[in-house]
Amino acid sequence: MLSRTADHLYWLTRYLERAENLARVLDAANHLSLSGGVDAVSCWAPVLAISGGTEAYDRKYGAVNGIDVISHAVLDWSNGSGVLSCLKAARENAHAVRSVLPTELWQAINAMWLEARTLDGPALRQRGLIGFGEWVRERSQLVRGIALGTMRRGEPYHFMRLGTFLERADDIARILQVMDDRRDAEAARQLRWAGILRGFDALQPYRAAYGSDVVPSRVARLMILDAEQPRSLHFCMDIVHNHLETLCPPCEGTRLAGAIHSSLRFGRLEDLLADGLAPYCARFVADANRLCNQLHVDFLMAS
Amino acid sequence: MAFDEMKSPDGGVRAPYRAYEHWLLSAAPETLPAKHAQADELFRRLGITFAVYGDEEGTERLIPFDPIPRILSRSEWRTLSDGCCQRVRALNAFLKDIYHGQEILKAGVIPREQVLVNRYYRPEMQGLDVARDVYVHIAGVDVVRTAPGEFHVLEDNLRSPSGVSYMLENRAMMMRLFPELFARHRVAPVEAYPERLLANLRAVAPPACPGEPTVVLLTPGYYNSAYFEHAFLAEQMGIELVEGRDLFVDEGRVWMRTTRGPKRVDVIYRRIDDEFLDPLAFRPDSALGVPGLLSVYRAGGVTLANAIGTGVADDKATYLFVPEMIRFYLGEEPILANVRTWRLSKPDDRRYVLEHLPELVVKEVHGSGGYGMLVGPAASQKEIEDFRTRILAHPEVYIAQPTLALSTCPTLVEQGIAPRHVDLRPYVLMGERPVLVPGGLTRVALREGSLVVNSSQGGGTKDTWVLEDDPC
Repeated sequence: MLSRTADHLYWLTRYLERAENLARVLDAANHLSLSGGVDAVSCWAPVLAISGGTEAYDRKYGAVNGIDVISHAVLDWSNGSGVLSCLKAARENAHAVRSVLPTELWQAINAMWLEARTLDGPALRQRGLIGFGEWVRERSQLVRGIALGTMRRGEPYHFMRLGTFLERADDIARILQVMDDRRDAEAARQLRWAGILRGFDALQPYRAAYGSDVVPSRVARLMILDAEQPRSLHFCMDIVHNHLETLCPPCEGTRLAGAIHSSLRFGRLEDLLADGLAPYCARFVADANRLCNQLHVDFLMAS
Repeated sequence: MAFDEMKSPDGGVRAPYRAYEHWLLSAAPETLPAKHAQADELFRRLGITFAVYGDEEGTERLIPFDPIPRILSRSEWRTLSDGCCQRVRALNAFLKDIYHGQEILKAGVIPREQVLVNRYYRPEMQGLDVARDVYVHIAGVDVVRTAPGEFHVLEDNLRSPSGVSYMLENRAMMMRLFPELFARHRVAPVEAYPERLLANLRAVAPPACPGEPTVVLLTPGYYNSAYFEHAFLAEQMGIELVEGRDLFVDEGRVWMRTTRGPKRVDVIYRRIDDEFLDPLAFRPDSALGVPGLLSVYRAGGVTLANAIGTGVADDKATYLFVPEMIRFYLGEEPILANVRTWRLSKPDDRRYVLEHLPELVVKEVHGSGGYGMLVGPAASQKEIEDFRTRILAHPEVYIAQPTLALSTCPTLVEQGIAPRHVDLRPYVLMGERPVLVPGGLTRVALREGSLVVNSSQGGGTKDTWVLEDDPC
């Protein structure tokens, strides 16, 4: 497969996953803001921190409030990490490699984009943020499902899976990092962590494992170490490592992924979080970033 | 009155359309508009679009699709197909000749300057042997009809003729929308096109190619107006769709960058014009091509389809001589007629044309896509006078032709079904001998009375049926 094709497939799924996760975070923030007793900044600032758009937001809008954060995080085309920008980038990457995508997969991506491009403030208000979030999640999962159901398990498939799960791991780490930074009152803390679990549809598995009391350290355990939870770092790195083992066992990237995976597979939470959750997450994001750069060297720079 | 593909002047229905008309009369009136809307929606979802240049948003437009097929009988098709093959055989022989012995120039059949100072003549090709002597691997021959047995060739497209994806997608759409029609008619299949093309491309691998040849399709990229077609064909042939930056030259061969390291490339179906192929040899400012490609090509390390320098045979001034080429190289009489053409560089022709501008179509010799032309009968007095000035300034860049009464085909328009002018582009694939899949791209001028069928000028397309036998 062409290196450029691999690159487009990888970024196609990264952008789609990023859009989905941001929609989930927005959903959690929205839920929190509707629950009362939590001020706007506490609700919405984390959205900006997670999607890396705080500075651009400050320059353009100033004070943090729900409407502006939603505009920035969903609709603003100048924000490359916004939901619509991500959907557009996903579609552009798909367009560049449509000759290797199964027809059904291309059609689903294209149809999603055709719907997304018409969205503006009034349309979003009419649909409601909750309805919009549902739509993004459904589309993203539809595309992933079609890929699972139609693609031959060859190189294109492996690169799409790498994009999805590296992005997901990165997003989860960023979310946990921001959550840990907050100095909230106990009640707000509970609500916030419960909101994240709800956004990731992980509240039910959490309760089944730990009961109804939402304790940050337990949420961290679920989202970092639980090998069976599809939105945990362990789960994501398991998949990333597996695909790299299939693609190229002796590659440096495979070794790096293996090292990150083993720390999650065999590490103890107490040891991993010895310096605190936020520093751990920052290290994870840096490691994941190093891995991504290595993938570029391993697969994309042949000459 | 223009010739109607469906109805005879006496009001009867022509044979190839009988079964279709019967179906049309029995169909509910809303059937066609409903299917039309459905087709639009499906094409949009499939992303079967062409990019519009000069639009920052990168707008992609649908080419309007008409749900009423253009139907040809087997015998009409045979004439057309034989005629197109004959032309392409002669054009291919012409290209080989002018880049080798130049017998046709020595014989005085074609003026030397017409070939040797032509902007598409490539001196780099002189004396070069190409695999199997094939220069024109793919040709699109634009044909119009003026009377029952009268087909005229408007132009031969020998560089990167586009539109074949619409031929294939239009058929798939028609089968989806109107399965009952395909049950009633035996429509000759066109699906074999990509297979045929790939087989031909593999067959022209450089003689020195070790093992199985690797074929790729070279596109300028996804902002090109025909990108959909490039992706479609690559997908249908199961080959890599590459851009210039995916390829590089090393040790006398062309390689592509893959996730497993460099992979040798033997045959390039290129959809990039000559001058952008190699910045070292042609335009240095072009980022579309591959530095060093020409040197590998000249050394026989890679095959390009179509060959470099084929444009000299498809310009509108060379077109004049195609009937003579057929006689010269093949010793045959042309099956398909040329359109009467005046060359404005010739004083007699120029005098005639300048006196009859309102009746004629004037085209630039190197123009394409319906740009830079004057359609006399549809032009205003001012447009005619402007063109007269341009002609007088540079007579050599223009030719003129009579406005042909292009045949019409029933077409779905807002008011219902109405006749609209059509042309036809069948695609000739040249291997050991030329072949066509039975069909082509019918383009239709959607505006009433208009003769301009180009998609860039608001034309649409139709599925083209060649009937295997009389419909039941």
